[in-house]
Amino acid sequence: MRKAERSLGVVFFPAFDWAISPTHPEREERLLYTQDQLHEEGLFDVEGVREYKPDVAERTDVERTHFCFPDVDAVTTRSHLVSAGGAIRAARLVMEKQAERAFAMVRPPGHHAMKCVRGARGFCNVNMEAIMIDWLREHYGLRRIAIVDTDCHHGDGTQDVFWHDPDVLFISLHQDGRTLFPGTGFPIESGGPAARGRTINIPLPPGTGDEGVLMVIRELVMPLLEDFGPELIINSAGQDNHYTDPITNMNVSAQGYAELNSILNPDIAVLEGGYAIQGALPYVNLGICLAMAGMDYSMVHEPDYRAESLRQDPRITSYVEELCRQMPRVYHNPPESPQSAEHGMRDGDWWVRNKSIFYDTGGFQETQKESALLCDNCRGVLQIESQVGSVRCLGVEVPLDACPACQNRGHAIVEQAQLKSAFRYVQLIDRVNKQYSRFGF
Amino acid sequence: MYLGIDVGGTHTDAVALDISGPGVEVVSACKVKTHPQNLLASVNEALERILKGVDRNKVKRLNLSTTLSTNAIVEGRIEDVGVLVIPGPGMDPTEYMLCRDFHVLDGAMDHRGNETARLDKAQCARAIAACRANGVNTFAAVGKFSVRNPLHENTLRHMLCGSRDDADCHRADFVTLGHHLGGRLNFPRRAATAYFNCAVWRLYNEFADAVEKSLQALGLGHVRVNVLKADGGTMPLAVSRRMPVQSIFSGPAASVMGIIALCEIVHDSVILDIGGTTTDIAVFADGSPLLERAGIAIGSHPTLVRALRVKSIGVGGDSALSMIGDTVRVGPRRLGPSMAEGGRHPTLTDALNYLEYCAVGDVQTSRRGVTEFAEAHTISADKFAEQAVQAAAGTIHEETRALIAEINDQPVYTIHELIEGKRIVPRKLYLMGGPAEALQKPLFSRFQLASEAPEHFAVANAVGAALTRTTTDVELFADTQKHVMFLPGLGHHENIPGSYSLEDAKRDAMNHLLARLADLKLSSDADRAEITHASSFNMVEGMHTTGRNMRVKCQIKPGVERTLG
Ligand SMILES: [Zn+2]
Ligand SMILES: [Zn+2]
Repeated sequence: MRKAERSLGVVFFPAFDWAISPTHPEREERLLYTQDQLHEEGLFDVEGVREYKPDVAERTDVERTHFCFPDVDAVTTRSHLVSAGGAIRAARLVMEKQAERAFAMVRPPGHHAMKCVRGARGFCNVNMEAIMIDWLREHYGLRRIAIVDTDCHHGDGTQDVFWHDPDVLFISLHQDGRTLFPGTGFPIESGGPAARGRTINIPLPPGTGDEGVLMVIRELVMPLLEDFGPELIINSAGQDNHYTDPITNMNVSAQGYAELNSILNPDIAVLEGGYAIQGALPYVNLGICLAMAGMDYSMVHEPDYRAESLRQDPRITSYVEELCRQMPRVYHNPPESPQSAEHGMRDGDWWVRNKSIFYDTGGFQETQKESALLCDNCRGVLQIESQVGSVRCLGVEVPLDACPACQNRGHAIVEQAQLKSAFRYVQLIDRVNKQYSRFGF
Repeated sequence: MYLGIDVGGTHTDAVALDISGPGVEVVSACKVKTHPQNLLASVNEALERILKGVDRNKVKRLNLSTTLSTNAIVEGRIEDVGVLVIPGPGMDPTEYMLCRDFHVLDGAMDHRGNETARLDKAQCARAIAACRANGVNTFAAVGKFSVRNPLHENTLRHMLCGSRDDADCHRADFVTLGHHLGGRLNFPRRAATAYFNCAVWRLYNEFADAVEKSLQALGLGHVRVNVLKADGGTMPLAVSRRMPVQSIFSGPAASVMGIIALCEIVHDSVILDIGGTTTDIAVFADGSPLLERAGIAIGSHPTLVRALRVKSIGVGGDSALSMIGDTVRVGPRRLGPSMAEGGRHPTLTDALNYLEYCAVGDVQTSRRGVTEFAEAHTISADKFAEQAVQAAAGTIHEETRALIAEINDQPVYTIHELIEGKRIVPRKLYLMGGPAEALQKPLFSRFQLASEAPEHFAVANAVGAALTRTTTDVELFADTQKHVMFLPGLGHHENIPGSYSLEDAKRDAMNHLLARLADLKLSSDADRAEITHASSFNMVEGMHTTGRNMRVKCQIKPGVERTLG
């Protein structure tokens, strides 16, 4: 009888009846070969490894995390609620101690979905990890959580959602934004005024392989996690760093991904991108599952794997070494970010940044003014004014542990906005009173 | 006239059914002791008894459910098998090393059936020679993804048999190829199933020979013999000779098919077969029994053998009663028979006797035993007996609820199924087995469901065996980019054009299933053929669709030929 060293729950949901469009990378077939591989390996017959069905997230679960304009139904499909529900089920498995580790192998992905959602960008509508974390906090009172995003693309959505949150450490490893969508994720982006050093961006040069990624995990990420002391570690497990991925330029193998998970030892992993669906995903997903379950993954290889041809350029190695030396400063001793409209600047009692966000799927531009109240007693009420075309919307968040003044301030802003009717839609997220409401139609 | 025999662990049940009229009539039935070392004697004895006064020329069919293979495996009376596996990359194959002569060979297929590494023939030859040197002459050859491309398994067969002709194998006694076990993906299960199939092959065939011989001797040489499978179907004896592993664990299926024959089941229902030591729980969805998702396990080895989903729990008439603190417990241990039947420790049956829910054996002894035990544990006898019955009903109820929750929580892979998929909500309870009637009331108060305990339930398993239909299934896999279509279970492949559609795939799968029925001389069952799965995925490279990847499954629906109702 094969036995896992650590019990692992796999929430496998390939959504075989959902695609963005018939030839889009995010299509029905994406997890087909992964399913074949996992089933053919008999993974779910291993004692301690079990397959689970996703929950279906409720509208409230989305509204707890995101400002959705016009509303949740307009910016999501059932597939998004199922995918978010898959992440929630994974969290539930771990919290209810049905499994020591859980992997939500679900689609569509979510790490490009930001705090305010007006449509789809980077194949993402809502943010699965963020919805899961806020669900966990509300239902289990967790506080300190670390997310390590190992997708090849910068997790700009997750970064945005937790930008002002000092209790979430967000670390993203990705191909350098100067060479890949979404073009962000530089070390200078290190978190809002109340959460400086809680966003860590590690851009890697194209061509980085197992060696470089594992070096970053071992020498940079692990010490930071140890210092931060999270109650839960979550891996945004994108698989597009793979050497065969069609839309990126990295050189990571299934072995590299498995070892990464073995070192990182996340409590929960949530699948993100990864579009080499035949040559990479079956092996990478298997490798991650085995690593999470504490089982031997040394024989998991892509059929075309040749270690020699993936050897990392020494220049990349020395670049990564330097990165590992420099980056801890961003966490321990975050530099003041330059005061600018783009990076944020002080405006009275508020910290204000202006953002322009392109929704590549819908092909439209959103302009945002994000204001966080600089409060001495809490991390401050947050408001986002969002405009697409002529439709203006307002989202107001009273964050977890907001002080009474900020709670009142949040509600007052919403009342004012209704009176003035300057906004077509207004949404309030009151995390203290667990009140999620929207106005306008 | 149909005969049904269910050789169980302790008893062998048999019936003769008259089907000449529109219905079914039980002509004779019997229960004889099973002789574990001589199952044939039990079969013969049961036959002699049910055929008393029956015109043997009118007997058309005998359906037989036997524990032969199961017992042989449990007791280790199996022969050595050479297991040749081709795992390719993935999980460590030595983690499920099945036996001494287990050889891991080079070579690999990927999930689409592309050969990604070749067999090393010299290595294969060495492995085969090593098995033969150990006196091994039955072989299982199993490759990962062989159900997508059987090339390596076929090559090994050729090397093992010394012939390319499927019917000819002059160098080995018997060879099982993994892909012949069907199209389902699960390499470790495929390996285990092929191994067990070989391990019981010789013993099983000797038994089959002996059964045929004694049928001749009993003047039943003309009778068609089928063997029960665990999935609620039968297979002709000739088929079972090549697939003896399919005969394991058919007992619970016989009982479940029995209840179908005795009652008209149309809704979501729960079937409780309450026996001496265990209660078997089965669940029906819209009147059809549910199958195990992947297959049944033999010992600690999961296999691909399809089986009805039956959960066995340690509560039965002979379950010993005990007290832990203030709580009365029923089972899971059995400490001999009930006191009513000469045992020395009070059981559930004794408690039921005490409460006058039934009158089994010596009721006075039950009363005395229950009273003494209760006194020794400073509890009133009434309370003790009542709590024991409540505990039994409570455990059965809890375990049933857990089973249904598990079924409803089974993974699905489409949004449609997830959101609109069927959830099982039982509406009726069917009870069978010794203590069933006695427990009817306490179970009703737990389940709050109408219940029915059919007549003849004592031989329901034999009735089920007699009336069970033959089932068979076919799986088809097509890849239009590679221009191949493959039916692993039949070892059939064909070239297909790029325009091959899911409709074509469904039609081909059905045609092969019907052709198989014709081979088995069962064309009349064609109306029971159904497609259970059909999916087609566009395969895209870059922005272009390069082909379609299709999977179709069809089967002859399990069922009984007629009902007694
Ligand atoms: Zn990505
Ligand atoms: Zn405040």
